[in-house]
Amino acid sequence: MEKLYRNTAPEFKTVDSIEILGDKRYTLSNDIPVHVINGGSQDVLKIEFIFDAGIWYQNSPLVASMANSMLNEGTSKYNAAEIAEKFDFYGAYIGFSAAKHDASVCLYTLNKYLSQTLEITENLIKDSIFPQKEFETILLNKKQRFQIEHQKTNVLAKDEFSSLIYGKQHPYSNIFDESEFDKLDINTVKEFYKTHYIPDNCKIIIAGKVDQSVINKLEELFGKKAWSKKDNLIHAKHEIQLSKENKSFVCKDDAVQACIRIGRPIFNKTHKDYTTLHLFNLILGGYFGSRLMQNIREDKGYTYGINSIIISHLKGGHFVIVTEVGSDVCKAAIDEIYKEIKRLREELVSDEELNLVKNYISGEMLRNLDSPFALSESLKGNLPFGLDNSYYQDFIRELKTVDAAKIKTIANNYFQEEDLKLVVCGPEDCRNSI
Amino acid sequence: MIEFDKFTLENGLRVIVHRDETTPMAAVNLLYNIGSKDEDPERTGFAHLFEHLMFGGSVNIPNYDEPLQLVGGDNNAWTSNDVTNYYLTVPKDNLETAFWLESDRMLSLAFSEKSLEVQRNVVIEEFKQRYFNQPYGDVWLHLRPLAYKKHPYQWSTIGKSIEQIETVQLDEVKAFFFKHYAPNNAILVVSGNVETENVKHLAEKWFGPIERREIAERNLPEEPEQTELRTLHLERNVPFDAIYMAFHMGKRTDDEFYSTDLVSDVLSNGQSSRIFQKLIKERNLFSSIDAYLTGDFEPGLFLVTGKLSEGVSFEEAEAAIWEELNKIATEKVTDYELQKVKNKIESSLVFSEISYLNKAMNLATHELLGDANDINTEVEKYRKVSIDDILNTSAKLFRKENCSTLYYHAKK
Repeated sequence: MEKLYRNTAPEFKTVDSIEILGDKRYTLSNDIPVHVINGGSQDVLKIEFIFDAGIWYQNSPLVASMANSMLNEGTSKYNAAEIAEKFDFYGAYIGFSAAKHDASVCLYTLNKYLSQTLEITENLIKDSIFPQKEFETILLNKKQRFQIEHQKTNVLAKDEFSSLIYGKQHPYSNIFDESEFDKLDINTVKEFYKTHYIPDNCKIIIAGKVDQSVINKLEELFGKKAWSKKDNLIHAKHEIQLSKENKSFVCKDDAVQACIRIGRPIFNKTHKDYTTLHLFNLILGGYFGSRLMQNIREDKGYTYGINSIIISHLKGGHFVIVTEVGSDVCKAAIDEIYKEIKRLREELVSDEELNLVKNYISGEMLRNLDSPFALSESLKGNLPFGLDNSYYQDFIRELKTVDAAKIKTIANNYFQEEDLKLVVCGPEDCRNSI
Repeated sequence: MIEFDKFTLENGLRVIVHRDETTPMAAVNLLYNIGSKDEDPERTGFAHLFEHLMFGGSVNIPNYDEPLQLVGGDNNAWTSNDVTNYYLTVPKDNLETAFWLESDRMLSLAFSEKSLEVQRNVVIEEFKQRYFNQPYGDVWLHLRPLAYKKHPYQWSTIGKSIEQIETVQLDEVKAFFFKHYAPNNAILVVSGNVETENVKHLAEKWFGPIERREIAERNLPEEPEQTELRTLHLERNVPFDAIYMAFHMGKRTDDEFYSTDLVSDVLSNGQSSRIFQKLIKERNLFSSIDAYLTGDFEPGLFLVTGKLSEGVSFEEAEAAIWEELNKIATEKVTDYELQKVKNKIESSLVFSEISYLNKAMNLATHELLGDANDINTEVEKYRKVSIDDILNTSAKLFRKENCSTLYYHAKK
């Protein structure tokens, strides 16, 4: 028997570099770029069609999201029920999403049914007709979901926080009134579809078991075949309007907890200090071992969870701490959050802690980038910034150069108390917490 | 086909190894055969609270998370009515750290007073956040006791009430640990970029010395057959009315589980499904609707839940659901429709096999239910379901006297 030393940790290796399955690039004959991530053990494919057709490009609320959702609701060839029937029969999934800049259609299919499922996908991307009845149903159901969502303290707090750091009108806030659902005109949405879901505005990412026949099929349906022509769109410019207010309280009287958001606008991942910011964020609230989680949950028991995150938008970004706490400890929790940030401004992070978060984040990258599907998600996020997934290898190299002094500098340059916006949403008795 | 090796240590710990070399990671999943159904009715929520305490330091290792994070690992856990499941992932070279950590907390916990005090509060905040601070969040707290009168499935894993959690004492925690946490009451699955020989060596080294413990035989009260329709009305500050219908069904290991699952798929899996097409798209009676099973180990529930569209009455909504349920219980589904839901099942199984961690959890569950290899024979069981099975299963399920209906009224 080996002698066991249960109070001594076994030896371990650090992750010094990660191997990343790169993407191969093709161009269809109509110039649509195709990124291919070929790998995995199952005979499955994820094919995502990405358009510059997100919220950024709409002239009024809901247009981008409705245009995207309506792609599933009928073409000149198939009605909505028939489209659903076909995808279901082949065991395929079709997903739709409209984000800040991108809007996408994503097909998950078994390789053996690729031609059938891709053909319907082609049809709905190129030839949707937006039937009135389906439009009304989808819109009404979206409205109900909106109303339910806006009962939640975290949603109310999020809206208020966004309006403070981006302004109420900015697409990154995407705040609008319930009445917009009743005002939306189907023709505006249809027009948006026609002008935005076009080849010049499209890129494709394929992940999974990709062989030449898959590429050929894509070329046949999306490269060679007729598809409406380019349109010279002029897009509105959106200016960020940072509020002068630093604090805001949103009253929700029946809430049993208070939702707290503390944060600020911040540079995105193309900035030279981004890696340092990333580490600052991890240490403060970016993983379970973070200072905020250890203090506010694991020591005080004020909350089920507290996290901080960095959001990188193409033309901006923000940092935010999010938590929901008992309303009786709202004030105490806010004080502790500021205290932890102050500590990062005033004290150097120990080598031990810095080393731990560096190891943790390296493991996290390895974990999150291990499958073709996951890599395709990351690639989708990186491409708009002019990056690909080799970005993560650079990140891990860069990580080694970050020291405690750099983190302290970031804390002092960007995280003074007066830089931070505070929003609380909760019952009236929390109003005094801010 | 998921290939695996299986062996049992002398202390009764069952170990399963599945190699998936497409990932640079390894997953360790430790399933304990203890869930909220094993709780004292006066101490509900205990199994879940206990799960939190498993992270409060073990007998030789004061902090569970830090050493794991140091080697690039990450972890979490969940508790259900049937089991408590702990899982972690690490870069493959650091697999031994996982064995070191998991074996020490199986050996014994630190049982700290501070950890208990803090985690009681954390769980109470979790209770509030998930059950009271969300629209419709408290549904299950009322639906379970409506559907179950005797069986411990009548309470949720979070517990019946905050009060029962507030008063938990440390000696109860200790007693619970030694009663339920033991090598002979657990299943260890290691998956990812691993070798069976190495796992065997590590398992014997770290878990081998832990002694077998006396595990009392499980003796749960049986739920008597329901004989009449049960109803409950709640009024809450939510924007729309909602309806929740619960029907008693069989247990996870019954043959009929597969036909029951397919019944739910015919009704509501995918946008071509019956209730989605009929009740949302055609008749605009609901803004969302779903039919699904709890998938519990013991006799579980078949649920039909929906949020009513503005202006639709409960009478109309409920009648429309019953119309669909009566239809599937009296008219045969077509070959095509049955084939469609079977295709969907096969496809979702293929997609679920992409994740090494998913596979580890599924292997552990199947092993506890009887045999890990059932993970590979399930497809065949679904394929065998016939048109008549769908009809018979539906007829047995969808009877008024087998139904508990909760009407969730929006306060006007």
